[in-house]
Amino acid sequence: MPANETELFQALSDAVVGMDEDRARELANEAVERGIDAYTTIERGLVDGMGRAGELFESEEYFIPELLLCSDAMYIGLDILRPHLKVEDANQRRFKVVIGVVEGDTHDIGKNLVRIMLEASGFDVIDLGRDIPAQRFVDTAISENADVIALSTLMTTTMDAMAEVVDKLDAANLRERFKVIVGGGPISPAFAKRIHADGYANSAPNAVKLVKQLAGVPA
Amino acid sequence: MSHDLMTPVQRFAAYGRGEAIDRLPCVPIVGNTAARIVGAKVSDFRGDGKLIADAQVAAYQRFGYDVIRIFTDLYTQAEAMGARVHYPDDETAYLAAPAIDSVEQIATLEPADPHKDGNLPVHLEAMSRAVDAVGKEVVVTGALTGPFTTASFLIGTETLVRLMLKNPAAVHQLCEIALQGAFDYAKAILDTGSTPSLTDAMCSTTVISPRQFREFGQPYLTRLVEFIHGHGRSVTLHICGKTRSIWEQMCETGADCLSIDNAADLGEAKAMVGHRVRLMGNVSPSETMLDGTPSQVREAVRECVRKAHDNPKGLIIASGCSLPVETPFANIDAMLDAVREIGWPVHIEHEMETAWKA
Repeated sequence: MPANETELFQALSDAVVGMDEDRARELANEAVERGIDAYTTIERGLVDGMGRAGELFESEEYFIPELLLCSDAMYIGLDILRPHLKVEDANQRRFKVVIGVVEGDTHDIGKNLVRIMLEASGFDVIDLGRDIPAQRFVDTAISENADVIALSTLMTTTMDAMAEVVDKLDAANLRERFKVIVGGGPISPAFAKRIHADGYANSAPNAVKLVKQLAGVPA
Repeated sequence: MSHDLMTPVQRFAAYGRGEAIDRLPCVPIVGNTAARIVGAKVSDFRGDGKLIADAQVAAYQRFGYDVIRIFTDLYTQAEAMGARVHYPDDETAYLAAPAIDSVEQIATLEPADPHKDGNLPVHLEAMSRAVDAVGKEVVVTGALTGPFTTASFLIGTETLVRLMLKNPAAVHQLCEIALQGAFDYAKAILDTGSTPSLTDAMCSTTVISPRQFREFGQPYLTRLVEFIHGHGRSVTLHICGKTRSIWEQMCETGADCLSIDNAADLGEAKAMVGHRVRLMGNVSPSETMLDGTPSQVREAVRECVRKAHDNPKGLIIASGCSLPVETPFANIDAMLDAVREIGWPVHIEHEMETAWKA
């Protein structure tokens, strides 16, 4: 076992990058047993590891399968550490994103990667899943008091469902309240502009940069 | 617009022999857009081989492109092996649920019977009818989904890609079953007088790594290409999204033509593999064909021609992937018209070029 906190954080980060679920579980439990601050362990261990995995993805050393297994290790650690967060850390208001694949499409790997990377960057994410009607994005954004609605599709046939979400917000006079961002295979910056979305990203890491920008946090 | 002087069959034959042709071959990849030609709903294609054939033949006759492809969606083979497919009223179908959800269930799967299971018999009927109607003048192809992609629909994509790292033997077991199904379906397609046209969407390096393609995609594609070659037909292989780092491997499957997505560059493909394979591509289906103007389509065609008209093994001007259902007819016409204007040997008038850009 690592000799000190710094080594433990590094080992936990390495376990995420190394896709090692067992090691992540062991180290997260070790942190709890030693009474190391849960928030710091998440930030400097799990989140750091997922950030490194994201960099490997951007440089095409990792692909979607590796990134998914890294996130499996991260979530195992998170499940162990979250119950030990101090009340003020657990309850702090975080920038909130409602995300989903629009109606008529069930391709959700891209959306899942964006959710994973957003969570790993400290955002609060409500994942509605796939094949989601426009009205549900709007209703959930209202009830959850979200900041951003993130829409994904891989199909050219369902791109119009993205415009429908924007139209519904317009019709309900809610357009100013939420930022709408879009992404997925057939989506282009020009399309995003045409449907009056607030942003477009072509990859999960860039989606995180976009949300950070909208939230006013330094990238 | 000037009329074509050759039929597609004559054009491909002459092009293959290096003889004079009237224009470059051109294939806007029309799938469910064909429903719009005959005033049908996309869901009407389900279970109706005659309607699919009528629509595809009508679309071919309307636009005058060079290959008929019998295709509605990529799920046909997986559906025939138990995957659940949802058919919206008037849009392209999508996967509702994979056939199985655990490794233990792989043993329960069986290769589909192309003459009995799911919508495979319907698609075969459509191919037969299209061949009967126009097979003398144009090649009819039948969409054949690659084993790795079918495997992803059988067990779910996320499960499959996790298994590649955790239980590779299970992935191979699944791909092998998908391959056996693909052999049987390919044989049935060939028996209709059509040519299987291979798509392996999930092999894209947008999803998996080149190393994973070499282990889980390429071997099965190679066996499928060999099988089709054994029946005297050439093979076009399409992989969606990014593919640059697997072009060499795609060539190693033995495929005769690579269909390149607009996420990749035709000029780079020519430089890397153009001496080994014919290239097909790659006007953007959504940004240009669906959302662009006819003049933007023409310019995109010119760009493809500029980049790869001198490809040693030849070039087919095409969309980078299947066209969206609602692609305007004017844009499909513009693609063909641009290819006719450019002619053969290719000639791109400079002042027209600048006019389009202005």
